Amino acid sequence: MSQKTQGSRLEIQGVDKFFGDFCALKNIDLTIEPGELVCFLGPSGCGKTTLLRIIAGLECQSGGLLHQGDTDISLKPPRDRDFGIVFQSYALFPNMTVADNIAYGLRSIGMPKARVRSRVDELLNLVGLEDHVRKYPAQLSGGQQQRVALARALAPSPGLLLLDEPLSALDAKVRHHLRSEIRNLQKQLGVTTIMVTHDQEEALAMADRVVVMNNGVIEQVGTPLEIYQQPASAFVASFIGAMNFIDSSPLNGQRVKVGNRELELVRPLPSAEGAVRLAIRPEDVHLLPCGDGEWEGEVRALDYLGAFIRTHIRLNDVELDLVVDVDPRSARRLGLCVGGGICLNLPSDALHCFAA
Amino acid sequence: MPEYDPGKHSMIDSQVLSTPATRNWPALVELRRKFAGRWVFSLLLVTGCAILTLLVLAPLYTLLSKSVENRAGEFVGLENFAHYLSSGGIESAFFNSLWVAGLSTLVVVFLAFMAAWALTRTRLPFTGWIRGVLVLPILAPSLLPAISLVYLFGNQGVLKDWLFGAEIYGPIGIIMGSCFWTFPHALMILLTAMDNADGRHYEAATALKAGPWRTFWTVTVPGARYGLVSAAFVVFTLVITDFGVPKVIGGQFDVLATDIYKQVIGQQKFEMGAVVSVLLLLPAMLAFIADRYVQRKQSASFTARSVPYKPSQDRKRDAVGALMLTPTLVFIFAIIGMAIYASFVTFWPYNLDLSLNNYQFGRMDGGGWGAYGNSLQMALGTMVIGTILVFFNAWLMERTPQPRFLTGLFQFLSLLPLAVPGLVLGLSYIFFFNHPDNPINGIYGTLFILMLCTITHFYAVSHLTAVTALKQLDQEFEAVGESLNASRWRVLFTVTLPLCLPAILDVALYLFVNAMTTVSAVVFLYGHDSQLASVAVLNMDEAGDIAPAAAMAILITATCAVAKLIQGLLRFWVDRSTRPWRQGTE
Repeated sequence: MSQKTQGSRLEIQGVDKFFGDFCALKNIDLTIEPGELVCFLGPSGCGKTTLLRIIAGLECQSGGLLHQGDTDISLKPPRDRDFGIVFQSYALFPNMTVADNIAYGLRSIGMPKARVRSRVDELLNLVGLEDHVRKYPAQLSGGQQQRVALARALAPSPGLLLLDEPLSALDAKVRHHLRSEIRNLQKQLGVTTIMVTHDQEEALAMADRVVVMNNGVIEQVGTPLEIYQQPASAFVASFIGAMNFIDSSPLNGQRVKVGNRELELVRPLPSAEGAVRLAIRPEDVHLLPCGDGEWEGEVRALDYLGAFIRTHIRLNDVELDLVVDVDPRSARRLGLCVGGGICLNLPSDALHCFAA
Repeated sequence: MPEYDPGKHSMIDSQVLSTPATRNWPALVELRRKFAGRWVFSLLLVTGCAILTLLVLAPLYTLLSKSVENRAGEFVGLENFAHYLSSGGIESAFFNSLWVAGLSTLVVVFLAFMAAWALTRTRLPFTGWIRGVLVLPILAPSLLPAISLVYLFGNQGVLKDWLFGAEIYGPIGIIMGSCFWTFPHALMILLTAMDNADGRHYEAATALKAGPWRTFWTVTVPGARYGLVSAAFVVFTLVITDFGVPKVIGGQFDVLATDIYKQVIGQQKFEMGAVVSVLLLLPAMLAFIADRYVQRKQSASFTARSVPYKPSQDRKRDAVGALMLTPTLVFIFAIIGMAIYASFVTFWPYNLDLSLNNYQFGRMDGGGWGAYGNSLQMALGTMVIGTILVFFNAWLMERTPQPRFLTGLFQFLSLLPLAVPGLVLGLSYIFFFNHPDNPINGIYGTLFILMLCTITHFYAVSHLTAVTALKQLDQEFEAVGESLNASRWRVLFTVTLPLCLPAILDVALYLFVNAMTTVSAVVFLYGHDSQLASVAVLNMDEAGDIAPAAAMAILITATCAVAKLIQGLLRFWVDRSTRPWRQGTE
């Protein structure tokens, strides 16, 4: 099997990118450790693909530095950098067989024929395509093409693997399967990997760390758990998973006012003055039978989503709509039905607080 | 809860990064990177621009300046134009050209639309063969229909009575002849527009209870509207700039194209030729700009989600389709058949025995078999040089990193020939290349200048074909190549060229056929040793040797047909051997 290659460390310092007057990336700083899998996650147009292309050298930054290991690669053309890349379209050469595609990079560097052959065999084994050597890309399924693209990128043993939305062209089932396959392969080889995606589930499932981007800046860097449980901004909170937002005004200390009610928070307010937004995940809201909880509301709609029921609740006295996820058993116990009354608590340790 | 601190990340490196080179001069960094290793490609495209400037822009400029100079070369402003106006040239030639081209456009677009409808919306059998026949005229020089019409409706024509005493020599002949040779151009545009119909639109119309007639007007016609407009502009430009048909069958009826010829060849008034050229350039330019404008508005309506339309079984509609195709098919067969027949008739109309007498070109003026040999050489040269030049430049423009202004400039220069009529181009070549101060005036009168002129004349369409093919390739091929240490050159030879082979063959055939059949651009440029077959047709016709002219026209057509056959076989072979590249085994 393939020997474990040492993935390289990547350091991005103060990278800017302008397209004319439009600022696509603003002062990006990021360090990626050897062997790490990092996901760039964000809505379309947030700059994640631009950043990836700058790392590859396909796009040139307007300012800032890039270091791969000890080398300054800021001004190097793609050919002089050490990376492999898989595009969304795979960009497999349609006029070459699977084997020729994988061997392409090896022949570029003038590797002897016998070694090319053994390396290609090795990679075919690695991605499980031994039976398809002589086929052309058009004769393979989407998932198989994906694997060829991966093998082609990995063939010259790059220190850095770049994946640009590698799974978005595939259907759900193949996507889930390939997700874990890519992750295992990456761990096995130890290659530093950056993956661009707009699919949060994919990012949370695969990454060691997630870089959430929006409007050309990094909103938050953290492990999937940190990103989900401690979102650093209202944007991250709303972009990852579902979130209820509640407008409120700060009182003194850690107290805020929602409608005509006051709430005690466990954490200090983000700023001393100005409105704040409270946020709570749908699964963190605590539903209780009528009369037991602090807040009273009316069930407006129920969406059955299989494992849980998404409940839309209207809090009448503060004119607020909340979304709450309940498991079917609790729902039965509470007797949830459209038009019925319900009580709920907002546990203070589950409340996030952002500047409005 | 730890709040995100945006300062935390930028803090680390702010001291490292304050070097002026990276922070204060972002544009400089970008520029340095952009030029590292990329200037070679930019330099090559600059060379491409320079070549096209030399071949199109500079000659055109000389022509424009000639039109405002007198014979001695002094600047006289618009005096030449005023002179042409007062001589009545505007009333006759200019307006004649406009209405003849306009009427031909109407007829051709109407016929081509009917044919395209019948081919794409019915289930007639043998549509492949029918398509083949309908585009046959493209293989013939535009002189051929004119000669054929003379045999059919001329003074000794077999169907002279059909005109009820009207003369074929004049607008009727010009319109009929123009319709013949421009029909395939309109048909191909309309077929492209109508082949990719979305079947869902038709199903939606049926579901909404629209009858066939309403479906036709609400789905079919709107779907083809850009094709219709484009076809109209193309046909109008072709007819108004054509010289062959009005020269042979125009009689005393003046049009701009024949007027230029008369001014230059007949009266040696070069400056007046330049004036008429400018007048001919105007409508052609306008049509070109309007067409570009319409094309830009056209967005692809056939998306990946569309389902190709499949006409349902409907005998009645098939019959209507057959009815619509019949007149055009009969007309094409009649014209080509008549020309072939006439070329073998010993002495029309007195001795109808068939013989090869008319093919003994050595006995006539016009250059004979030598001219045919020259034509072959010229067409092959045009094909080889032109295809390489067109593809290499298109590749530079599409697949290498280039500053935007450079690609913009190159695109403009390569499309410009589309707006320049052949006669105008030819005349401007005289002015430019035959100028005593031009260091390369030695090529004047050689086959080489004829090749250059022909490549330029047909550059735009070849360029568009190449660009379309290159655009269809995955945009990331070069990026993948670079990440795999392969230069753009290696990607070009191992990936791009093999994948573009069908388009390369198409461009090669296009250039060969046009080089064989063109008259307008080369009629001013051939020398004593570089007579061409198509010009020989013209000269023999002028000398009254109309049967040998027909024979030579048929010979040219046959040569083009053979070329088309060879190209078809090559394409078949390429398609078959590259089938695994395109489709699955399932």
